[in-house]
Amino acid sequence: MDYVQTLIMAFISVVIVNNLVLTKFLGICPYLGVSGRLDMAFGMGMAVTFVITLSGTLTWMIDYYVLGNQALAAYGLGVTRYVCFILVIAGAVQLVEMYMRKFFPPLYESFGIFLPLITTNCAILGLCLFLRIWEVNTLVTAVVMSFGAGIGFTLAICIMAGIRESLRTADVPKCLQGAPITLMTAGLLSLAFMAFSGMIK
Amino acid sequence: MTLANLISLWNHAWPAGMIILGLGMVFAIILLIASEKLKVKMDPKIELVHKALPNIDCGACGFAGCASYAKAVVQNPAELIGRCAPGGAATAAKIGEILNLQISAEGPPQRPIVHCRAHTSDKTYYAVYQGIETCTAANALANVQACKFGCLGYGDCVAACKFDALHIVYGLATVDYQKCTGCGACSRACPRNLITMVPFKHENMLTVACSSKENGKTVRSMCQVGCIACGICAKQSDIFTVTENLAKTDYQKYEPDDKTLSAYNKCPTCVIVYRGKNAPDPREPAKKKAAVAT
Repeated sequence: MDYVQTLIMAFISVVIVNNLVLTKFLGICPYLGVSGRLDMAFGMGMAVTFVITLSGTLTWMIDYYVLGNQALAAYGLGVTRYVCFILVIAGAVQLVEMYMRKFFPPLYESFGIFLPLITTNCAILGLCLFLRIWEVNTLVTAVVMSFGAGIGFTLAICIMAGIRESLRTADVPKCLQGAPITLMTAGLLSLAFMAFSGMIK
Repeated sequence: MTLANLISLWNHAWPAGMIILGLGMVFAIILLIASEKLKVKMDPKIELVHKALPNIDCGACGFAGCASYAKAVVQNPAELIGRCAPGGAATAAKIGEILNLQISAEGPPQRPIVHCRAHTSDKTYYAVYQGIETCTAANALANVQACKFGCLGYGDCVAACKFDALHIVYGLATVDYQKCTGCGACSRACPRNLITMVPFKHENMLTVACSSKENGKTVRSMCQVGCIACGICAKQSDIFTVTENLAKTDYQKYEPDDKTLSAYNKCPTCVIVYRGKNAPDPREPAKKKAAVAT
């Protein structure tokens, strides 16, 4: 029971308290770029969730079992961590891209450049590195937290897209139209999420 | 670095290399299998049409680039076939050949005309503008340049042109018709809507190079070469009409003849000019010539 509770706490913590987009400011590129429409934002969130879960799990396994292996400590394999992580992420993104091209062509078209750009989405590499900093030491926790990070990203981008859809009919002053109002919205949202910061230590 | 150092480096580094190599190979195999399993069949015609296009991604057709236009035109050739402005009739014919279609004769090519002919020396300025050097910014400030309609000369159109076919010459945007492909980017960029796309039925077109809707007296007070709506051109030839204090050319009706030539010669402010590949230099107003002479 205690273990399940820890898992639930870890999940909530990564979705709300340590939301990668709104409290760590990672993955801002798709967050601002693809949040114009709710359905696209949700699709992007799902794609990122898939990639982040897959790559978070795989990189945790590589990090924990190979790079952090005591028997191999003499070789200083830690230096290859970034290269390995990016390799895994790029591979996962390629898989998603092929899958989407086959089964969701309209979504694939509308993402354009942002789909391959998931590779360089810093939220994903950030999460892979955070798993180490947060000292996650069981596979199940790693999977739950990776998945949670994806859900957190989806949550953030969908809230943003919902606000931006409503903003389209709002009477925004001319000097604030477009990027300025989007950035201000992002700032206010992030401020709102700061309120969760004391919830879980 | 000695050989011993190199050998010790190798002894320490090879596991790292092996890990990267191993990971790379695993993913290569997974992706290879995935690419076979998830292959998407593309219409070979799309590839052919894409090759026939100029591949400059100018966006004149209304699509993001040549690739998306190729895809759209294969699906809906009847509506979309003539959209490629840089390629023109030749590209349309090629696409027609690929798609097995008969193309009816194309209309004349669309080329931009700047409806202003005032260089810096012809204009009047009320103040010195020291802001951001774009027309859009300068346009937001009233009364820096006296004429509210004329070319500002900061080159938003030049920045929009991908073909180096537009230049600011003495404060006036000037089209190089040798290089122009008619993509229309400049006409969308101009904040004062001075540049319109015109069907060039002839190599040179006669145009009223002014957009000012001020009355004649006001125009005279702030521009050497503005249209004062005197109506002389309209009396000479029926391709000219004067509405809202401004003479306009009916480009669809334009055929060069004596009447249009006499309108060109009789315009008191010389605002009727030729624009095109081999356009003659415009006439200069007499007053200005005298000023230069003295």
